[in-house]
Amino acid sequence: MKNLFKVLLLQILLFVPYVSFANSDEIPIESSVSYDEIYDPLEPINRAILDFNFFIDDIAIRPVIKTYKFIAPDPVEKGVSNFFSNLKEPIRVISFVFQGEFMKSVNSVGRFSINTITSLGTFDLASRIGMAENETDIGLTLAKSGVSSGPYIVVPIIGPSNFRDLSGNVVEFLVDPISNSVPNRSYVSIGSGLNSRAELDEEVDQIREVSTDKYEMIKSIYYQNRNSQIEEDFVQNLPTPKIYIE
Amino acid sequence: MFKILTLLLFIFINYSYAEDIEITNWFNQESKEFLEIMNNADVEKHQNYEKYKAFVETNFALKSIAYGLLNEKIIEKNDKETLLRYENTFKAYLTKTIYNLANTSTSGEIILKDIDVKDGVYIINSDISDRTSSVSLYWKVAKIKDSYKILDIIVENTSYFVTKKSEFTKILRKSRGSLDILIKELEKI
Repeated sequence: MKNLFKVLLLQILLFVPYVSFANSDEIPIESSVSYDEIYDPLEPINRAILDFNFFIDDIAIRPVIKTYKFIAPDPVEKGVSNFFSNLKEPIRVISFVFQGEFMKSVNSVGRFSINTITSLGTFDLASRIGMAENETDIGLTLAKSGVSSGPYIVVPIIGPSNFRDLSGNVVEFLVDPISNSVPNRSYVSIGSGLNSRAELDEEVDQIREVSTDKYEMIKSIYYQNRNSQIEEDFVQNLPTPKIYIE
Repeated sequence: MFKILTLLLFIFINYSYAEDIEITNWFNQESKEFLEIMNNADVEKHQNYEKYKAFVETNFALKSIAYGLLNEKIIEKNDKETLLRYENTFKAYLTKTIYNLANTSTSGEIILKDIDVKDGVYIINSDISDRTSSVSLYWKVAKIKDSYKILDIIVENTSYFVTKKSEFTKILRKSRGSLDILIKELEKI
């Protein structure tokens, strides 16, 4: 019975009816750019969560990140970043297998072995000897299998996602062999999250300074980045403005 | 017949080659100038801002980008004066964005990787790098009235045009298509 309930809940979440909570004062404006039409039925809730995330960032996360970036020399930051990236290699191995990218999967096994043995992952020796890092995750595996992104979701503390990527994150949490073998995995998760935030520090500052609508900017950037990992010729296929004589 | 075809092919190849050289030269020259402004820490802040402003005016297809961010109906609905005001406000906003983006960091070099052409738009693939890291940078460029103009910049797979289009569309939707409100929002930045 419990399983049936879970399946039903999943189905309801997957097929959320296309009911938009968007402000009824808005008028539809046609656009040739598909990024304007991202499926976002939860916008008012998402906006509230984003405000909450910025509030938490302001009072707690940002000061920690600024202090860390001020104190830690560049090689230390790079080493920490490499360490957390290396922890993601087992998930990449699994993802590439499901994507049928066996060579990339083998490459990830090799990278993980070399970098872990030589420096516990803090130095990316594998890249230096020609084994370049290939980014992937379970969300991308689902995307490449034809699963649509579902509604855009802003997750408290974590940030922008969508139903497909969030499902991918849940699967990763359950199957990740590294995190599952660590006695207190929450430290790893917090460390990894803070490292990701530190890596995006300049971008977050930019969003604060030059955005006319932070929510739309973050949503657009999130989808562009994910699509660039899914689509071939992503840049070529991006919309370009019509030419007007200056 | 064969000779004519060969001649036509020869002319076409020569023309394409000449265009390639021309855009490569333009890119090398302008990217060098951009780096000089970016790395110029000696001057006062406002002097650097003026340099970015001149760079934006010379090299960006301002009208194409500004109008491209709007809907055709909004362009038709507004008078010339409002559109001109929007163009000028957008120019200041774009300069501020580029200034903020570039003036917070220094960079060693911009390396041209390759040039592709799609629908008459050149897509220039480059890397901008300093001693420790490298960032992927694409430029969409078109030849407008005999000079090359930038239509879009794509930094690490994030297009300036696409991102701003999302933001501007939202403001226009909320304001029932009022360009005046969009101008006011841009002036706030």
